[in-house]
Amino acid sequence: MAWLLHRVVVAILLVWVVASIVFLAIRLVPGDPATLLLSQGGMAPDPGAVAALRAQLGLDQPVWLQYLSVLKAALHGNLGASLEDGTPVVSAILQRLPRTLELIGAAALIAILAALPAGLAAATRRGGGFDRIASLLAAIALAIPVFVAGTLMVLVFAQWLRWVPAGGYVPLAQDPLRHLRLLAMPALTIALGLSAVTFRMTRAAALEVAQKDYIRMARAKGVAPPRILLHHVLRNALMPVVTVLGLQLGSLLGGTVLVEYVFNWPGLSGLLVDAVNARDYPEVEGIVLVISVLFVALNLLMDILYAVLDPRVRQR
Amino acid sequence: MSRVAWIPAGSVALLALLALAAPLLPLPNPVAIDVAHRLAGISALHPLGQDEYGRDELSRLVCGTRVSLAVAVIATGIACALGVLLGLVGGFLGRFAELATVRSMDVVLCFPPLLLALLVVTLIGPGASALIPVLALLYLPGFVRVVYAGVLSVRAQDYVEAMRALGARRARIMFLTVLPNVGGPVLVQFSLAAASAMVLESGLSFLGLGVVPPSPSLGLMIGEARSTMAQAPMLLLWPCLALGLAILALNALCDALRDAFDPQGRASPGRGWRALRAALPGGAPAPGPVLEVRELTLQIGSAAAHPVRGVSLTVAPGETLAVIGESGSGKSLTGLAAMALLPGGIEVDGGAVFLEGREMLRLDEPALRRLRGGRIAMVFQDPLSSLNPVHRIGAQISEALRAHQLLTRRAAWRKSVGLLRRVGIPDPERRARAFPHELSGGMRQRVMIAIAIANDPVLLIADEPTTALDATVQAQILELLAELRKERRIALVFITHNLPVVAEIADRVTVMYAGEVVEDGPAAEVFAAPLHPYTAALLASAPRDDGTSPVGIPGMVPMLHNRPPGCSFAPRCSRRAPSCEVATPPLNTLRPDRHTRCLRWRELA
Repeated sequence: MAWLLHRVVVAILLVWVVASIVFLAIRLVPGDPATLLLSQGGMAPDPGAVAALRAQLGLDQPVWLQYLSVLKAALHGNLGASLEDGTPVVSAILQRLPRTLELIGAAALIAILAALPAGLAAATRRGGGFDRIASLLAAIALAIPVFVAGTLMVLVFAQWLRWVPAGGYVPLAQDPLRHLRLLAMPALTIALGLSAVTFRMTRAAALEVAQKDYIRMARAKGVAPPRILLHHVLRNALMPVVTVLGLQLGSLLGGTVLVEYVFNWPGLSGLLVDAVNARDYPEVEGIVLVISVLFVALNLLMDILYAVLDPRVRQR
Repeated sequence: MSRVAWIPAGSVALLALLALAAPLLPLPNPVAIDVAHRLAGISALHPLGQDEYGRDELSRLVCGTRVSLAVAVIATGIACALGVLLGLVGGFLGRFAELATVRSMDVVLCFPPLLLALLVVTLIGPGASALIPVLALLYLPGFVRVVYAGVLSVRAQDYVEAMRALGARRARIMFLTVLPNVGGPVLVQFSLAAASAMVLESGLSFLGLGVVPPSPSLGLMIGEARSTMAQAPMLLLWPCLALGLAILALNALCDALRDAFDPQGRASPGRGWRALRAALPGGAPAPGPVLEVRELTLQIGSAAAHPVRGVSLTVAPGETLAVIGESGSGKSLTGLAAMALLPGGIEVDGGAVFLEGREMLRLDEPALRRLRGGRIAMVFQDPLSSLNPVHRIGAQISEALRAHQLLTRRAAWRKSVGLLRRVGIPDPERRARAFPHELSGGMRQRVMIAIAIANDPVLLIADEPTTALDATVQAQILELLAELRKERRIALVFITHNLPVVAEIADRVTVMYAGEVVEDGPAAEVFAAPLHPYTAALLASAPRDDGTSPVGIPGMVPMLHNRPPGCSFAPRCSRRAPSCEVATPPLNTLRPDRHTRCLRWRELA
C-alpha cells in the first residue's frame, strides 16, 4: 500500500504544478481579457470601463495574490465564474465533460472489442492471410489522421450514402436512437487509430509471450490451446497492451478537439477552444485543471491495474 | 539495411525530393486566384482541377506537402538537436543536471499533446512560426529520454571508464562514444516524431490554427474543401490521399529502422509444432519399454544442420536413464522430441519416438495433449521462467490436474495442496496461494515436480532439473526424485551434464556427443569401465571426492555446420589414431544393452 500512497502524492503534486504553469502562462501572454471583453465591433473600449472591469474581476491585483485566491477557491471546488457570461465554470464543465468521456469510452470499447481478438488471432497464425491483411489495415489506419478519417466518413456515410447525419448532438434522454446515430461516426473515427495501435501491441506482445518457457510448460502439462491462449498468452500480453491503451486514452483527453470539431460534437475541447479565444481565464484554468486531474488519475488507475494484472508489481 | 527497408526509404526520399524541388517544377502559382473558374474540373492547364477560389489544385497539393513536411521536419530537427544535447548533459553531469533536463520533461508529458499545442498556438497566435517551437517542445522529451537511456547504458561500460581514467574530457567522451551508440534509436525517434508532427501540424492547420492562408498546407486544404464537399468531393480526397501516403511512408520507414536497430523485434519465423507431422518413417513399436527413441534425426529449418543424428534410446518401466553430455550435444532436444514439443524451426528428419508403443511424432495435437502431462511429464531446467508469473502456484498445479481429470476447482485445489505437501513444501495451504516469484529456487523446482507427478505419469523427463540450484538444494531435489520414482514406479529420463549427480540415481546411462549417442550401457559398467574416450574424459573432468583435481577436456564441441570428418570427437580425443579422422565410426554393439561409437574400442578396452 505504501507505493499507492506514494503514487497519489506524486499525482497531486503533478496536478498542482500543471495548474500553476497554466495560471502563469495565460497571464504572461499579451492580451487583456477586460479590453477584449469590452471591445465590441472593433472599437477601442473606454479606459475607465476597462479599469472598472479589471477591478471587478480582480485583475488589478498582483499576480501572486490572484494565484493564491484562485488556488484557495479551487481547493473548495470553486473554479470561478466565466468572464464572458458569468456562469460558474464548474457547471459548464460538468455539462460538457460527460459528452467527451462518452466519446472516448465508446471508442475505447470498440477498439478493445475489435483489436484484442484480432491481435491474438494474427499472432496465433503469424504470417498467415489474416495476419497480413489485418497488419496492412492497421498500418493504413495509423497513417490516416483523425480529422482526415472523420472528414472522409462524413463524405461517404453522410453525404453519399446518407446513412447517418453529418454531425451534431442530441442528449440521450431526449432521443436515444438519434443520440446513438450521432455518436457512431465520431466514436468510430477515434476507434480507428486506437484499434490500430491496440492491434499492433496485442499482436507483438502475444508473439513475445508465446516464446516464453511457461507457454512450453503449459503445453507440457497438456493444457488445451484455447486455454493456453487466454490464461497464459493473453493474460501476460495484457500488461503492455494496457500500458499503450492508457497512454492513448490519456492523449485523447484533450485530443478529441478535432473529432468534436468535425462532427459538431459539443464536448469539453470545444469549450476550451472558445475559452482560450475569449481569454476567459477562469474557464481555461478550470478546464485544464480538470483535464490534468483526469490525466493523472488515469495514470494512477493504470498503475493500480498493473498491480492487479501482475503480482510481481505488488511487491514494490 | 534489409531489402524491405528500401521501399519506405525510397518513398520518403522521393517525398523529400518533391518537397525540395517544388519551386523548380513548372507549376502554376498555388495562390493565384481565378474566381471565374472556381471548382472547375480537369483541364489541360489544371490536371487536378481548380479549388473554390479557382487556384490550381495540383500546384497547391505539391506546395502543401512541401509546407507540411517542412514544418514537421524543421520542428523535429530542433527537438532532436536540443534533445540530444539535454540527454547527454542529463546523463553525464550528475543528479542535478538530470533533474533539470530529464525529469523536467515529465511535465511536458503530463499534457495531452494536442491540448498543449492548441493552448500554445491559441495564445501566441497561428502561423508556422508559432507551430514549429510548439511541435519541437512536444517531441523534445522523446529525444531526451532516448539519448539519456543510451548514455546510461554506455556510461557503465568499461571503455568509457577507461577513457575517463586516461583523462579524456567529458565532452570528448560524450561525442566519441555515446553518439554513435544512440544513433539508431535517435533515427527511429526522428522518423516517429516527424510523422507525428505532420499529423499534428495538419490537424492544427485544419482547425485554422496552423499554417495561415492563403499559403497551402494539406490540413488547411482539407478544411477548406469541407465546405464544397457536395459539389467537389475530389478536392477533399486529393489532400487526404497525399497526407495519408506521406504519413504511411514515414511510418513504414520508422518500422523498418526499428527492425534494423532492434534485432530483438524480429525473431525468425518458426513454423512451430504443426510441421512435426511431416512424412516420418514408421515401424512397429517394440513391446516392453515405456519410451523408445529410434534413430531420431532432427534438422534445423531446411538447412543441412542436424542437432540430433540417429539417436536411439530405451527406457524400461520404473527404470532411470541418465542422458549425459556437454551443452550442444542434443540431449535436451531429444527430451523435447519425446514430448513432441520441439521448438519452432526444428523438424524431425527421420526416426520415431514410441511412448508405451504409441508413435508420438505421428499423433495429432489433441492426442498428444492427452499424453503430455498425463502419461508423460517433464521438469524443465529453469523453474522461474517455466512457471507463469501471474498465476498462483496452486492454480498452476490445479490446471495440470484439470487438464486430465474431471475435477471441480475446489477438489483440484485440495489435490494441489496435497501434492505440494508430497514434494516437501512446508505450510502447503499457504504456499499454494503464493506466486512463483515469492518462492525460493528450490521450492519452485519442487512445484515443477509436483506439476509433473500430478497425473501419475509413467515417464518423467527431467531436463537439467538441478542445474539452476545450489549444491545442498540439488541433493534434496535428487533425493525427492529418487523417492518419487520408487514410490510411484515412474520411469525417469534424467538429462544432465553433471556426472556425479547421475552416478547415484541412474540405472542406465546414454552418453551423447555432438548430436550422436557415443556410448550406452548399465550405469555401473559405464562408470567403472567406459568404452568411449569421451565418456572417460567426462568422468575425468567431473569433480571428485578423493581430492585429485578434475581434468578438463581440451577444445570445444564442434559447431553444427562444421563437423569434422570421421569421428566427431577425434579433434579433442587423446587416443585418436589417423583412421579416426577419416571414417565415421559406427555404433558398435557389444551386447544388446551395451554400445560404443569408438573405432578403437577393442584396443583401448
